[in-house]
Amino acid sequence: MGFFSKIFKKEEKAEPAKKAAAPVKDAAKEAAACGCETKDANAVVGLQAADLGELLPGAPPGGKIKLAIYWAAACGGCDVSILDTNERILTVGDMADIVMWPIAADGKEKDIAAMDDGEITVSIISGAVRNAENQHMVKLLRQKSKIVVAYGTCACFGGSPALANLVSGADEILDYVYTKTPTTANFQADYSKDKPVIPQYSYQAPEGELTLPMLFDTVKTLDQVIDVDYFVPGCPPLQETISHMLKAVADFAYAGVALPPKGTMIGVTTKTLCEECPRKKENARITKICEPYQVNIDPEKCLMDQGILCLGPATIGGCGARCTRVGQPCRGCYGPTEDVQEQGASIFTAVASMFPIREDDGIIGEDEIIEIMSTIKDPLGYFYAFTLGKSLIKRAVKEGGQ
Amino acid sequence: MADFEPRIVTFCCNWCSYAGADGAGVARLQMPTNFRIIRTMCSARVDPEFILRAFSKGADGVMVLGCHPADCHYIGGNYRARRRIALLRMVLEQYGFDPKRLKLEWVSASEGEKFQKTVCEFIDTIKALGPTPLQKEAN
Repeated sequence: MGFFSKIFKKEEKAEPAKKAAAPVKDAAKEAAACGCETKDANAVVGLQAADLGELLPGAPPGGKIKLAIYWAAACGGCDVSILDTNERILTVGDMADIVMWPIAADGKEKDIAAMDDGEITVSIISGAVRNAENQHMVKLLRQKSKIVVAYGTCACFGGSPALANLVSGADEILDYVYTKTPTTANFQADYSKDKPVIPQYSYQAPEGELTLPMLFDTVKTLDQVIDVDYFVPGCPPLQETISHMLKAVADFAYAGVALPPKGTMIGVTTKTLCEECPRKKENARITKICEPYQVNIDPEKCLMDQGILCLGPATIGGCGARCTRVGQPCRGCYGPTEDVQEQGASIFTAVASMFPIREDDGIIGEDEIIEIMSTIKDPLGYFYAFTLGKSLIKRAVKEGGQ
Repeated sequence: MADFEPRIVTFCCNWCSYAGADGAGVARLQMPTNFRIIRTMCSARVDPEFILRAFSKGADGVMVLGCHPADCHYIGGNYRARRRIALLRMVLEQYGFDPKRLKLEWVSASEGEKFQKTVCEFIDTIKALGPTPLQKEAN
């Protein structure tokens, strides 16, 4: 039981309503302070921080819950985002025993394996699944957990790791990384000209066999490998979203409040990002595609109107349009809206319609249209930057490969 | 490969191409039976997601047929469709598909013969390309 929670325990019990109301006010104040000068800043940010309250009333009545946080193929940003909850992470310590968290706490695979099935209340897993170790650990955590949360875009949609699906497979990746990049190519030329040094999955050392986890040809999303209960998209998820997730867990642990239905996306709205974005749209047409650094961005006008490809029209809202507010286009990390599977297809439908119809459109041939559309470089990489793992085609294919 | 019968999904717009296909049928023009027609109100109604879904379910080729430019029932639907298809073709190429597996053609209500010709040519193209590369992986 935390130090502060002992002090405030009585007050909190007496005034639960006040506790619940306070965070909303804080969030409004925060939004005003963080330089969002648009007046409707708070109105458009649909999602307010659901604070856990300053403190939780000590350990839950049934004893502390067990919490596991794991990263599979992830950059670690998701774990850092959990720490972004600042001092509230300490209240998580009141609520739960963190049995595993590779970035911040001890707890090894063998400790998890020794647990009973369903002993862990919640497992928060970030990252895609791309090697044998990832797969083993997520399957183990699924077996030992009551609730599994796919946390962050890589776990939900494949994220950037899934772009590796656009090459032929693991061998090509290893070959490129260890022999073709400028630094490694030089190294291989200098020291191992005959046979390039590429890591082996197993090696017989004098002390015994050393192994590395097998790299898969196809990067998978978490729900393609195990059964997932909740999804929290974002790269990384917003702090407000995390607080919503933790609050749901806390309410469940303390008061037995029912959890949201299985498969719920936590921290998203029902509409696209454009609904939250304060920029003014004038329905202008795209005549030239620019990168943000190539233009003087008008702070009021829609980025699409300025020729910057923004994935807002096809991305589900919930992030409060943080990127577009500061002049960076949306890259689509929150994933598609509810009824859409292909975020990429959805956005290029919108983008293609924004190319103006020309006077001579009735007589020009398809070649000219291809020329017009070729101003978009790398459409697959741009429009599917975060969702390739969950797209319909999923990976590169090879014509005529008998 | 001689016995390869491609499966082709054809999207026809309600106002021109579907009527064109109907015309081809009424005129009893001979056509292979490898294609299935899905009628949409406009070629612009064909979301790229439909086409990708067709490919992901094992279609060997997809055709999108619409009204001729400047002839769209909704004035500008086919202009949008051709831009989307051009972009989708780039995406398919990046995936590794032969972009010839996706065809966009304009067939008006009176062009039953053109419908027959387009279908026959496309089936020949797909027969030459062989089965979809995706199907092989699924097996």
